[in-house]
Amino acid sequence: MKPITLIVVFCFFFITLFTVAQCNPVPAPEQKGSLLITNCIAHLGNGQKIDNAVVGFREGKFTLVADAMIAKIDMTAFDKVTDAAGQHLYPGFIAPNSVLGLHEIDYVRATIDEKETGLYKPSVRSVIAYNTDSEIIPTVRSNGVLIGQVTPRGGIISGTSSVVQFDAWNWEDAVIKKDDGVHLYWPSVINRTQDKGVIKLELSKSYNDQLRDIRTLFNEAIAYCSKKDPVHTDLRYEALRGLLNGTMTLYIHADEYNQIAEAIQFKKEMHIDRMVLVEGYDSWRLSKLLRENNVGVMLRRVHELPKYSDDDVLLPYKLPTMLFNEGVMFCFQNEGEWPATNTRNLPFYAGTAVAYGLPYEEAVKALTLNAAQMMGIDSFCGSIEIGKDATFFLSQGDALDMLTNHLTAAWIQGRKISLTNKQVELYEKYKAKYDVEK
Amino acid sequence: MKRIALFFFIIIAFVPIQAQVNETFPYNGVRPKQLTAVAIVHATVFIDDKTQVDDATLLIRNGKIEASGTGIKIPDDAVVIDATGKFIYPSFIDLYSEYGLNKYTPVERKPGPQIESTRKGAFGWNEAIRPDIRSALQFVCQPEAAAEYRSAGFGTVLTHRMDGIARGTSALVTLGSNENNNLLIADAAAHYSFSKGFSMQDYPSSLMGSIALLRQTYYDAEWYKKGGEAEERNLSLEAWNNEQALPQIFEANDKWNILRADKIGDEFGIRYIIKTSGNEYQRINEVKNTQCPLIVPLNFPAAFNVSDPHTTRLVSLAEMKHWEMAPSNPATIAKAGIPFAMTLFGLNDKADFLKNIRKAVSYGLSEEEALGALTTVPAVLIHAEHIIGTLKPGYFANFIICDKKIFTEGATIKENWVQGEAFVIEPENPISIKGKHRLSFERYSLTLDIKGEPGDYKGSSAGIITREVESGGVASAHSDSVSFKVKISQKGNYISLVLNPDSVYSAHGIIRLSGYVAGGQMAGEGQLSSGEWVKWETSKIPPSGLENEPAQNISEKKIETPVSIGKIIYPFGAFGSEELPVQETVWIKNATVWTCDSQGVIENGQVLISGGKIIAVGKSVDPGNLKDVRVIDATGKHISPGIIDEHSHIALMSVNEGAQASSAEVQEASVISPEDIRIYRQLSGGVTAAQLLHGSANPIGGQSAIIKLRWGKTADQMLIEEAPPFIKFALGENVKQSNWGDLVTKRFPQTRMGVEQVYYDHFIRAKEYGEAWRKFNTKSSGNKKNDVIAAPRRDLEMDALLEILEKKRFITCHSYVQSEINMLMHVADSMGFAVNTFTHVLEGYKIADKIKKHGAGVSTFSDWWAYKMEVKDAIPYNGALMWKNGLTVAFNSDDPEMGRRLNQEAGKAVKYGGVPEEEALKFVTLNPAILLHLDNRMGSLTKGKDADLVIWSDNPLSIYAIAEKTFVDGICYYDRSTEEKRMKEIEAEKSRIIQKMLDAKSAGEETQEPKAKENQHLHCDTLGNIE
Repeated sequence: MKPITLIVVFCFFFITLFTVAQCNPVPAPEQKGSLLITNCIAHLGNGQKIDNAVVGFREGKFTLVADAMIAKIDMTAFDKVTDAAGQHLYPGFIAPNSVLGLHEIDYVRATIDEKETGLYKPSVRSVIAYNTDSEIIPTVRSNGVLIGQVTPRGGIISGTSSVVQFDAWNWEDAVIKKDDGVHLYWPSVINRTQDKGVIKLELSKSYNDQLRDIRTLFNEAIAYCSKKDPVHTDLRYEALRGLLNGTMTLYIHADEYNQIAEAIQFKKEMHIDRMVLVEGYDSWRLSKLLRENNVGVMLRRVHELPKYSDDDVLLPYKLPTMLFNEGVMFCFQNEGEWPATNTRNLPFYAGTAVAYGLPYEEAVKALTLNAAQMMGIDSFCGSIEIGKDATFFLSQGDALDMLTNHLTAAWIQGRKISLTNKQVELYEKYKAKYDVEK
Repeated sequence: MKRIALFFFIIIAFVPIQAQVNETFPYNGVRPKQLTAVAIVHATVFIDDKTQVDDATLLIRNGKIEASGTGIKIPDDAVVIDATGKFIYPSFIDLYSEYGLNKYTPVERKPGPQIESTRKGAFGWNEAIRPDIRSALQFVCQPEAAAEYRSAGFGTVLTHRMDGIARGTSALVTLGSNENNNLLIADAAAHYSFSKGFSMQDYPSSLMGSIALLRQTYYDAEWYKKGGEAEERNLSLEAWNNEQALPQIFEANDKWNILRADKIGDEFGIRYIIKTSGNEYQRINEVKNTQCPLIVPLNFPAAFNVSDPHTTRLVSLAEMKHWEMAPSNPATIAKAGIPFAMTLFGLNDKADFLKNIRKAVSYGLSEEEALGALTTVPAVLIHAEHIIGTLKPGYFANFIICDKKIFTEGATIKENWVQGEAFVIEPENPISIKGKHRLSFERYSLTLDIKGEPGDYKGSSAGIITREVESGGVASAHSDSVSFKVKISQKGNYISLVLNPDSVYSAHGIIRLSGYVAGGQMAGEGQLSSGEWVKWETSKIPPSGLENEPAQNISEKKIETPVSIGKIIYPFGAFGSEELPVQETVWIKNATVWTCDSQGVIENGQVLISGGKIIAVGKSVDPGNLKDVRVIDATGKHISPGIIDEHSHIALMSVNEGAQASSAEVQEASVISPEDIRIYRQLSGGVTAAQLLHGSANPIGGQSAIIKLRWGKTADQMLIEEAPPFIKFALGENVKQSNWGDLVTKRFPQTRMGVEQVYYDHFIRAKEYGEAWRKFNTKSSGNKKNDVIAAPRRDLEMDALLEILEKKRFITCHSYVQSEINMLMHVADSMGFAVNTFTHVLEGYKIADKIKKHGAGVSTFSDWWAYKMEVKDAIPYNGALMWKNGLTVAFNSDDPEMGRRLNQEAGKAVKYGGVPEEEALKFVTLNPAILLHLDNRMGSLTKGKDADLVIWSDNPLSIYAIAEKTFVDGICYYDRSTEEKRMKEIEAEKSRIIQKMLDAKSAGEETQEPKAKENQHLHCDTLGNIE
């Protein structure tokens, strides 16, 4: 073939390929057999790190996690062995309190499914609206975020969240913990109103009334749930049953000191076993109360500005370290501007926390095991430990730094997932157009 | 000559003594004659703010002062009032008032856009320009409002309808009861503001729009005067031109607005009198430099209720300091030598006025200055110094009579005379009936004991009633003891007593007596409970020694020595400082130096800066004979050029003027907000310069401001000297208003098709405009006198567009999808210029080759996408792909949060697309400098360039990089190592003021609940402005 023909054929091949391929990657099939990864720097997610690790799994579960310097490995026990050549291995990062799959294009209302109308709607379930075909999801997992908590927004009780993994045909396949908890947006002590570009902050006058309403709802739910076989079914109370019997978690979203203090009081008062604080700007001031009541914090976005004009300009960056120093369990999350697309930057929030003093493995732990614990999935995922789901990835460099976060492979439940996405494909398409990289 | 005592006169003073009848008016009844003169004698009279005359006489006739001072012969026909012990001042003048203008209720605005004026008639195009309004035509006396003003000491106000940007003329009126006499000057001053008031027209929707509209109107009026009238009749411009000779008063609330107003004044040779908001003390030198006289309010804020330490966080240091320092504002202005008047405008309660003046005096304002600011100064400012403001002969008899010196604690205004018409503010105590009296009537013989003060008497009465008892046909006198509570009211000499029996034995019922006081005795008639009329009288029981109450002895409170308050800091709030940081000579050693120029990255390198410039960069540099060299050992650290944000909206009062498809006339430089905390936060992320762009609400936006983050300086000082002019254009969803709601579908354009038309239309008009000027300039320079043509109308919008055509102004165009980018390049090519920068340009990667050919640069986001329909194809590889196509690529923020992590956003160009690290760093340093045509002085660490640099803890592209020091012009504006100390200082200063606020609260002062105001984070999409 003449060179010119070659180019034409080549171009035709690429154009055809990418025109066809511009939809989300195919979910990986169920994992069969076993794989051993050697020669990696393993960040286990539980605060430990193995500099020269071997990690093996079979049928979706880790079967081997060991230090190659110490342990003797029978490589023949594995169907396949991969030399990771000094890459970093991490448990799949977890995005709690996320709207991924509910929220596609910010300004197009039809693509937003996160906010049901009304104030108290605990029975509203996010999971059935979770769109596995969101074009955003593959871009997020390309950076190492493999699990998320699909969380409804709006009102005081926004609804019930579920935890999903990010490689599935349908929400039913995606779920790893269905209806894990109910989200309560604690009424605000400070009212924000906006007029002509000015935001006015004033002390709320309805705070006490709103508190009374919440207490009334829960007291009624307690009464309802104590009766065997209630005559009438109330979906709202039914949705709260799991909180009262300790099978579900109450996520309370609050920032301010008085809100947090009151919320913890509320937990005690209602005998709620599992509570997690979400946001928590002031949580470091209440560390003792949080520790004593076993309440972890899904910390507000690290890449944010301080809430008040006079606050330490770097406060949001320092909060993770402050919580760590106070012995409060916390993890990272991403509520804020562009909440879906920005999820891929979650690892870098942890990186910033490290820059401001958080020990590295603690940062990884916050991204993985801590989040898993708070959502009640730590028994089967969240760290590189034998028996747990083989949900993890390999990165050529430090995954918490954008300079070096470069995934070479990722697995969810042992299934090797595709790391491409719409954006990568568009990149390839136009690289080919310009012929700028050969 | 008839001599009467003041108190006698007072009693009849509710009827004006010199009621005037208008000469031309018919009179229903017997026409009153002009009354005689009034002579007030033995008073301490302040003829003016500087002249105090003791034991003086004030002679008044026909509403004017006939004579004042000592040695005045009192004419025979004068009523003489003895005012011994009283103090008389010229009454106050308020130049900022809406008195006498009935409340205006605006028509409700219809939903959706309002593009044109709703005002019908031969007026100008914009509803907010109302120079034709003459407040005098709407003026009526408002007795209640007048009484409030008079109680505060005012006699004259300048009143205008406070509505609109140009508000027409005000009327100078006195606070009497007769419109015809009270209207002194019908068109006394012309008024302006930045607020469009009740106007329902969309334009202007921002502060910068108001400024542009004002400027344009000045030019329009000039054109109208010079021949434009032949082309269009415009009553607004006619009125505008007619009132230019009057005093020009500008309402500019906030210190920075004073500078903004003054700048307009400078452009058109006008020195405004500026009505301020009360925070001028924070920038007194800049305010002084405007040379504008001021009208200053006394609305000092209430202390905050800071009892809860958690809710106290809502109160910023700036608010706290303002609370503490606001009362020092008048004194600070006076000390600076700025001529100023004071207004009670802005006070919720007019009764606080005197209280607040006294407060201002206790904060260092002299009594003379205070009086001047209320009398002579406003009189001069309003060109009425020949009729009001002093008590010299010939002036209006506008004065107040006080019982003590007016600025003394506890002094009260007794009377306020307006053009000789006397109004009683606080009635002189009537003849006191305090004490013990013998009260007898019918069969009652009682002792009446009256305590308290007139108006608040407490009385009791006890005694006996004699009755005849018939016993077996024999009548005998019998006495019973009785006692009453007595309610007493006194109006002048008229007394009424209600006797309410105390005891269970109340057969007497309630007895009502009324009568008069005369010579210490009372007498009159009354009715018993039976309805029987009786006569009554009293006689005084002389007080015994013990009952003598001590004479009232409220010692005149000495004016306190000026109170101690905190210091002014720059900026005024947290992270401000008393002294701004200064330029240093710094020798940084042992650092990894990212030069972003041909030297590449120098390991273990050195940088030397001095005089705001980079002196040397290299492996080793020589400080030569530079003095005071500060050596920084930067072992393990990295140095990069300062980060430049090509697309930012920090530090702005407004971003969009989006009411029209083009707003090329508006300037972001006019609305820089130099104390925005976001400036400091950007410094903490190594940002040293930013282009502050107009938003993307319309295809042709406004002119940019390019600033350096010189924290603590003024807006003008932040602007980069000689930076080339830029303008924002925009394409796509924002300009076609896709996401503004279903009602907003009226303004052209609503489609991408329309956007192209906007450009062609405007550029063709600009071309013709340029042509017209060229023709005019050529003809005028020729000597053919008979061939003179009128100058074209100066059009600020066309000026900016013409500059683009002449390649003197550069376009930064907000853009997303490839089709529209291509369209604009076609427009530009056909008009003979190139688009300078496509910003956002998220589909730039799709037509990078075409952009390259056109010659534009690009400034994009690292990884934003999917926030709108038009960015669903955005990819994080955009920057890399465009860079690989040879474009000058920058990353920008458009966001105050991401803006301070731009170095790490540049790191994403390494991650997504493999741009080499050195090149990636240029995305946020050298490349934006090139795009802004500032690479000759910024963007790289090159000898001779500005010393804008950052010392980082790590590779600046890494997530672990922390900005440790940020230098702008060789001045260290941010130093992380001193932040902890700084936070402690902020806390300490707050705690100090909190203690004061708590004291104020326990002293019974009114407080307000904690609250805060913060500026919204402005984006491209943010409409309107911060007020």
